[in-house]
Amino acid sequence: MQTLADYYGKTLKFDKLFSYCPGCGHGIVTRLVAEAIEGLGIREKTVSVVGIGCGGFSHHYMDIDAIEAMHGRSPAVAVGYKLGMPDNIVYTYQGDGDMSAIGLAELLHAANRGMPITCIMVNNSLFGMTGGQMSPTSLAGQVTATTGKGRDVHLHGFPLLVPELMRAMNGVAYLARETVVTPKTITKAAKSIRNAFACQIDKLGFSYVEVIVPCPTGLKKKVEDAYAWSANEALDYFKPQVFINKLEQSNEA
Amino acid sequence: MRETLFLKNTEAFAESMIRCGVRCHFAYPITPASDVMKYSSARLPQCGGRMVQMESELAVANALAGYACTGKLGATSTSGPGMSLMQETISFMAAGELPCIMLDAMRVGPGDGDIVGAQSNYHQATRGGGHGDYRVIVLAPSSGQEIADLMPHSVRLAYTYRTPVMFVVDGVTCQMTESTTFAEPHDYSADFDTAGWRFTGTKEHPKRFLLTGSYTHQQGYEMNERLRAKYAAIKENEQKWEEALVDDATVVVVGFGIHGRMCKDLVASFREKGKKVGYIRPITLWPFPDKAFAKLPPSVKSILVVEMNHGQMIDDVRLAVNGKAPVHFLGKTGGDIPMCTLADMSGMVGKLLDGE
Ligand code: SF4
Repeated sequence: MQTLADYYGKTLKFDKLFSYCPGCGHGIVTRLVAEAIEGLGIREKTVSVVGIGCGGFSHHYMDIDAIEAMHGRSPAVAVGYKLGMPDNIVYTYQGDGDMSAIGLAELLHAANRGMPITCIMVNNSLFGMTGGQMSPTSLAGQVTATTGKGRDVHLHGFPLLVPELMRAMNGVAYLARETVVTPKTITKAAKSIRNAFACQIDKLGFSYVEVIVPCPTGLKKKVEDAYAWSANEALDYFKPQVFINKLEQSNEA
Repeated sequence: MRETLFLKNTEAFAESMIRCGVRCHFAYPITPASDVMKYSSARLPQCGGRMVQMESELAVANALAGYACTGKLGATSTSGPGMSLMQETISFMAAGELPCIMLDAMRVGPGDGDIVGAQSNYHQATRGGGHGDYRVIVLAPSSGQEIADLMPHSVRLAYTYRTPVMFVVDGVTCQMTESTTFAEPHDYSADFDTAGWRFTGTKEHPKRFLLTGSYTHQQGYEMNERLRAKYAAIKENEQKWEEALVDDATVVVVGFGIHGRMCKDLVASFREKGKKVGYIRPITLWPFPDKAFAKLPPSVKSILVVEMNHGQMIDDVRLAVNGKAPVHFLGKTGGDIPMCTLADMSGMVGKLLDGE
């Protein structure tokens, strides 16, 4: 009888139940990352540097080495790791709180450094694990645990467009924003995640994918409504697109 | 090849770590530690290594941690305000049992302080400036030569105990230029096998992950107990100090770093006059050399602690002396002459000899 492992390969583990809440976008992104690693045949030389928050559990569902870094510092840990083992593959998996608030400096400098590492930001527009507080990527008017009357941009600033900050950096080889709110967009996200790893394998430079997902628990919405909110409200502001793809350029050359 | 070079002691730190096999030095500029990175940025590429200038001390410490995860030994160098920023990651590395070598070129604080030398970071270094029950091995050399001599030992400590090892050197000693003889280059880290713990991918081992928190209270308890046992072993086995003429002394002077170095001349001048003065110079600040004080002779009537701060090591001396003799303090920090002079120290020892 064919088992799930025969079908999916070894990267994704099936002996552990996800700790993610039902309907959480992390489940889909974790699977896409595992599939990219499996598909590219890099499982045995890949290490994940995860952040603090719900995404910090992502590696528990994969048979790969992992480091749990503190306070958004995953990109700096990944830079140090890559210097120690240049032929291994290292990626960070962080939420928007971890990566775009406390860890923004480390992310932007890692990107600008252009060292071939991969960073994945799972953006659900709030701090999930700590109870749904405002994150830098919360939308204008979004009600969160700390913006009871909605995010007031004059008080709290504007929702942060992270890949847009990196698009002028020459060290960046792959830069994309994707989402997993529909089957079609999941296919596109899978491709971008795979491309990001491919850029690292080819040593083309830094690669980054932001993935817009819903957090039904933090949004205090039913799963269906949370997906609808992400598909409509979040994507209206965070427009999915591939900003930079040096894989294409290197293929053309 | 053994070599004697005339270097600033910050440069002696860089030269000796390179000779001992360190191939990655992560740093961010700060006075008076910046000369270490200036020197290593030129010197490391000659040996297949590199100095990596990061965007902040936070990034420095985390890159150092990531590098250590591959089983390799990296180094960093900074000063007080930079060390404060690194504390989160030093706590992380202590919990994750990741080795590294650090230099704290101590200057006067708190806050941004002033750039003149000091020994103000004693508490931060020895108590753990970050959160949690952890310790870092702290070495306090008093010259460029001692930095070079302690470097192989520090690599051994870092790997044996899988822990960060910190050199604390006051800014005055760091800025001094003196002759230092370096031993034959040798990659001491290559003497240690890291295959049992490094995170190098599942080709080499079944899945490993570095977790410095805990999923169950039992796991957290076990991690902390493991660290407790390790620190107890270090405390028992790794105390280091220099002492002279303590056996019949009436007054014992205690100082580390540059004040420890001055004790030699101080004691010699009193002995010339027939006065019974001895000294103890702690070389490990953590573990503190309690053993040196456990065997103090009954002749000792007073102890004088001299520091370039407002009194920090004195806490450890008092604990070690445990009431056997009164412990006095002399300290100065900051200003144009940021330390006690030999005259200041002699004056105070004279008073203690007179029974004041
Ligand atoms: S709190 Fe939100 S992000 Fe965290 S697991 Fe639940 S749904 Fe996912």
